[in-house]
Amino acid sequence: MLEISHLHKTYRNAAEPSLSGLSLSFGKNIIAGLLGPNGAGKTTTISIICGLVKADSGSVKVLGYDLATGLEEIKKLIGVVPQSIALYPTLTAVENLEYIGKLYGIGSRELKEKIRLYLHAFGLEKSAHKAIRHYSGGMKRRANIIASLLHAPELLILDEPTAGVDVQSRNMILAFLQDYHRQGHSIIYTSHLLEEAQQLCHEVAIIDHGQLVVKGKPSNLMTENSATSLEQVFLHLTGYSLRD
Amino acid sequence: MRKIAATVLNEFRLFRKDLAGVALLFLMPLALTIIMALIQDAPFREYQDIRFDILWVDNDKGKMALQMGEGLEEIKQFRLVRELDGKPVEAGQARALVQKGEYKIAIILPDGVSAEVVNSANQVANEMGQRMGAAGKLPQRESRPANLEIYFDPVTKQAMKLSLLNALDKQLTKVQAEIILARLEEKMKGEKGDSAGVEPIDLQAKMRAVTIKELSAAPENKINLNTNSVQHNVPAWAIFGLFFIIIPIAGNSIREREDGSLMRIRMIPGSYFSILTGKLSFYVLLGTLQFFIMLAAGLLILPRFGLPSLQMGSAPLALLVTALVIAMTATAYGVCVGSLFQTPNQALPFGAISIVILSAVGGIWVPVEILPAGLQQVAKLSPLYWALDAINGIFLRGGGLQAVWPNLIVLFGFGAVFIAIAGWTETARKK
Ligand SMILES: Nc1ncnc2c1ncn2[C@@H]1O[C@H](COP(=O)(O)OP(=O)(O)OP(=O)(O)O)[C@@H](O)[C@H]1O
Ligand SMILES: [Mg+2]
Repeated sequence: MLEISHLHKTYRNAAEPSLSGLSLSFGKNIIAGLLGPNGAGKTTTISIICGLVKADSGSVKVLGYDLATGLEEIKKLIGVVPQSIALYPTLTAVENLEYIGKLYGIGSRELKEKIRLYLHAFGLEKSAHKAIRHYSGGMKRRANIIASLLHAPELLILDEPTAGVDVQSRNMILAFLQDYHRQGHSIIYTSHLLEEAQQLCHEVAIIDHGQLVVKGKPSNLMTENSATSLEQVFLHLTGYSLRD
Repeated sequence: MRKIAATVLNEFRLFRKDLAGVALLFLMPLALTIIMALIQDAPFREYQDIRFDILWVDNDKGKMALQMGEGLEEIKQFRLVRELDGKPVEAGQARALVQKGEYKIAIILPDGVSAEVVNSANQVANEMGQRMGAAGKLPQRESRPANLEIYFDPVTKQAMKLSLLNALDKQLTKVQAEIILARLEEKMKGEKGDSAGVEPIDLQAKMRAVTIKELSAAPENKINLNTNSVQHNVPAWAIFGLFFIIIPIAGNSIREREDGSLMRIRMIPGSYFSILTGKLSFYVLLGTLQFFIMLAAGLLILPRFGLPSLQMGSAPLALLVTALVIAMTATAYGVCVGSLFQTPNQALPFGAISIVILSAVGGIWVPVEILPAGLQQVAKLSPLYWALDAINGIFLRGGGLQAVWPNLIVLFGFGAVFIAIAGWTETARKK
């Protein structure tokens, strides 16, 4: 579902490259983990995939479409949950979701029904008409996810969907992701919680300094590195020094 | 189309959340328009119907002084002050009062001006009689030139001085001519020997065959307007207020970038063009609405303060189209400012002050006609100049679309440049 090769990106005004020849691929219908320390280049990679940022060089293929020529098609098929809350803070959840849904071209009746269902599924029905800025951190994260689900994307990409949320919220989100995968969708997600990734992901890629370090099934990676957890693998491969 | 409608609705919702902002956007320009129209009412009327008190010192007490005084009083603009505290004004007193600035003008008629004019008239009558071969002579002596003295407060404007000097000159000529005619008549009577019963010639009545009448060059004769405070200030500050929608536009577009909602929009398939169109449409409609509310103030509120009602010409369609185009230009400017700056703290002061500058240059504060020639050329760099000129074309010159379309094209041009700059900065930002 995703093939990245030799991706390079140096931001304007940045001294160091954010991606320096990243190559990796994930197969279809899996939950894939994109892992790496702070500043490894995870968000940059996702931004390139959804067309927000332009790569300097390299190629990206998503669900069979080349990014260079098929960005519009790709945008229709993927749903990206950004690392930051990307909603209008002064609008309510319903107002936000209505606008986003309409921009995706979803019919009014269908959209209303979907919004109702998802708000219920994510436990937000009581706050449906509350402004996003008055939401708690966990509620914001959940609303942020719903906004990327309305058009039923074939591939859901989530950038740290569980950052800063409580255990209940996290469990709910993870259960939803597994459910969404069972319905036949693919998922790529990033996280710093390696235990979570170890449980959830069929495949993980660890990147550092804008390059792929290792990729494989969590269990395989643990055996290969004679470790008992993904965290040990991670520390073994990326070192103990602080990033950023 | 659905995207455009959805975006218009969304912008309305965003806008509605800030009720105080909405109120200010409408109320502040409204207050500004009313206050400016009231404040500038006096300066605009200065040479029209404000009265000036003139200290009138008559040391002559003759016919000449009497007639000149009456003549001046017929001019609405002047009021003669002949007495202070029940006593006739004296020359020294008048000079002192003007010096102190308590009065703007003093006119002193020295003793003997009447006699001098009569003497000159007799001289003329005698000379004419001699040339016509008539006998007899009216009493005459050597001329002793006399001056009317006039004192101005130094702050008196040049235009005011000229207007008074002209009036005095006219009165003087008239009185002299009348006295000469009367003398000639008297002389003729003396020749023929018949006595009284001949009416003096009413020069004013006789010479009224040709007069000057001020008319308007506007078509259809329906519109016959002089510019006044309302007529200048209402459209001017309405345009100024309309341009202030750049504050919510720039603010919202920067906030959208900051809070990530723009990122969300950009991940959605489809071109950004229809979303931009939706955003622009909302603000164009809002700006147009605001503009008409401002005009309504000129129509309904200002007359309650004793100001004349706003005259809006006779081309409602042209007015609507012009308002839409002005709103479009203002909106484009807002988008441009919003894209050029990173934070609201940068964009909002720049936006607000730039509008103040563009409005000062563009003839919003004072009519551009009063500015020096060089500045009048600079005015053309301000979209507000073209906007006001278009509205004046409709309101004062009674024009329609055929009269304002060149202005509308220029305004469109400004809008296009603003959008181009915005597009260019946004593309650069993506890298
Ligand atoms: N807009 C930008 N301009 C300049 N440099 C940037 C920009 N965005 C990211 N970077 C830099 O690029 C590098 C990679 O950042 P990125 O956000 O992709 O990392 P990440 O793996 O998502 O990190 P985190 O886990 O902290 O979210 C970092 O060094 C970061 O400072
Ligand atoms: Mg990140």
